[in-house]
Amino acid sequence: MTRDRYVFLGLVLLFAAVNGVLLANGVLAADWEGLGVIVAAGLTLALYSFLYKDNPLFKVAENIFVGVATAYIFSQNWYQTIYGEVFVRLSALGGEDSASGDWWLLAPTVLGLLMLTRFSRRFGWLSRFSFAFFVGLGAGLTIPRTISSFILAQIEPMLQPLSWSVEGFNLLVILVGVVAVLVYFFFSVEHTGVVGKVSRVGIWFLMISFGASFGYTIMARLSLLIGRVTFLLDDWLGIM
Amino acid sequence: MIQWLMNIDRRIIFVFVFLGVALPLLANVFLPIRPTRDVIAVYDQLEKVAQDEGVVLLSFSYGASTEPEMQPMARAILRHCFSRNIKVVAVCLWPEAPGLAQQVLEEIGDEFGKTYGVDYAFLGFKPGNFAVVLNMGQDFRDAFPQDNWGTPLEDLALMRDVRTLRDFDFVFDLAAGDSIEFWWIPYGQEKYGFPFAGGCTAVMAPDLFPFLQSGQMVGLLGGLAGAAEYETLVGRQDKATAGMSAQSMAHLIIVIFIIFGNMAFFLSRRR
Repeated sequence: MTRDRYVFLGLVLLFAAVNGVLLANGVLAADWEGLGVIVAAGLTLALYSFLYKDNPLFKVAENIFVGVATAYIFSQNWYQTIYGEVFVRLSALGGEDSASGDWWLLAPTVLGLLMLTRFSRRFGWLSRFSFAFFVGLGAGLTIPRTISSFILAQIEPMLQPLSWSVEGFNLLVILVGVVAVLVYFFFSVEHTGVVGKVSRVGIWFLMISFGASFGYTIMARLSLLIGRVTFLLDDWLGIM
Repeated sequence: MIQWLMNIDRRIIFVFVFLGVALPLLANVFLPIRPTRDVIAVYDQLEKVAQDEGVVLLSFSYGASTEPEMQPMARAILRHCFSRNIKVVAVCLWPEAPGLAQQVLEEIGDEFGKTYGVDYAFLGFKPGNFAVVLNMGQDFRDAFPQDNWGTPLEDLALMRDVRTLRDFDFVFDLAAGDSIEFWWIPYGQEKYGFPFAGGCTAVMAPDLFPFLQSGQMVGLLGGLAGAAEYETLVGRQDKATAGMSAQSMAHLIIVIFIIFGNMAFFLSRRR
C-alpha cells in the first residue's frame, strides 16, 4: 500500500471515529438530521481534500454535487415550468377551470417544440421560426432598455456641474477616469503624445479597478470558506 | 530562505488561511463594524417604508453555493422589516432559491411572531428571468396568480392592493448572479420607477457601483461585510458579524504572504 492510501484510510477511520464520539455524546442527533449533518461534513471534507492532492474521495464528492445540483434544478424547472405552466394549463383548455387567456399558451408551446426540431436534419429548418421570434423579441426588449439603463442613465450623473466639495472631487475623478479609459480603448489613433499620456492614465484606472475587483473576489471566496468552517465547527463538531 | 519563500508549498498557505479563519471563530471575537454609506442608505429607505406602513418586495435570486454570504443578508433585512412591522412579499427568480427563501422567511417570521398571509407572503419561483420582472410590472397577478402553496393572491390580506410593481414601496433583490444588473434595473426600476436596492455577493459588488453613482440603486449590501454592517444597524449580531473577525484575520494572512512573496522576489532580483 502506498503512503497516500495509508493517509486516505487513516482519515476515513478518523472521520468515522469522530462521528461515533459525537453521536455517543449526543452532540449529533441519531436521526435523519444527524445523518444529514454527517453526510454534509463528509462531503465538505472530501471536497477540501483536493487542496492536498487530487484523490478518489474528491472525485466522488464532486460527481455527487454535479448530479444532485442537476437533478434539483431539473425538478424545479419541470414542476414549476414545463409541468406547472404547460401540461397542467394546456390539459385544462376548454374545461371549466381554463382561463380565457390560456389558449395563448399554444403559441409558445408550438414555438418551443419547433426549437427541438433542431436535432433533426430533415426538419431542422423549422426551428428557424422559433429562433427568429426569440432573437427579434430579445433585441426589441433588450436594446432600448440597455441604451436607457447602461448608457444614458450612466452618462447623466457625469454631466453634473463640478463643485469645490468632496462630491465635486469624486465627480472629477470619475470624469477623468471615464475619459481616460475610453481613450485607452480607442485604437484608431496611435497612443503617442497626449493621447498616449491620457491612455496611460486610463491604464492606471483600469488596474486600480481590477485590483479592487480582485480584492472583492478574494473576500467573497473567503466568505464561502467561513460559511463552511462555521458549519464544520458549529453544526458538526458543536465546539463553537 | 529567499528561495524557500519564492517556492513555498501552497499547502502551507492553505493551513495558515484555515487557522486564520477557524481560530477567530472559536475565540468568538467580535470586531467593531462601521456601517458604510451604501448600507445605511438601504436601512434608511426601509425606515421610510416603515413610517409609511408600506409593503416591500423581496426577490431571492441566489442558490446554495452562495448561501454563506446571502442568507445572513436575508436574515438581517427580514429582521429589520419584521421588527418595524413592514409587510414583505417574497418571490424567487432562481430555481435554487425557493428552499432557502422559505427557510429564512419561516425562521424570522416565527422569531417575530408574524402571520403568513397577513404580515408576509411567499409566492415561489417563476421562470423567465427578465420577462418575470416585466410581467410583474405590467400585471403582478398575471406573473404570480397564487402563492407557493397554491393559494390565490386575492385570499392573502397583504396582496389585496398590489397590482403592479409600482404598488410596492421598495424592492430589494438578493442576487448571486446578474439579476440586479440585467433584470431588475433595466426592466424594473428604469421602466417603472420604484425605489430599488440590492444585496449581492462580494464578487459582483464592484460591477454594481455605477448604478449607485447614477441613482438607479438606492443602496447596496456587498457580500458578508454588507450583511455584517446591516446586522450592526439592526442591532442583532449574528453569523455575518461573527464571520468578520475571521475574514479580517484571513485577509491579514494573505497580505502578509503577498508582502513576503514580493520581498523575496525583489531580493532575488538584486542577487
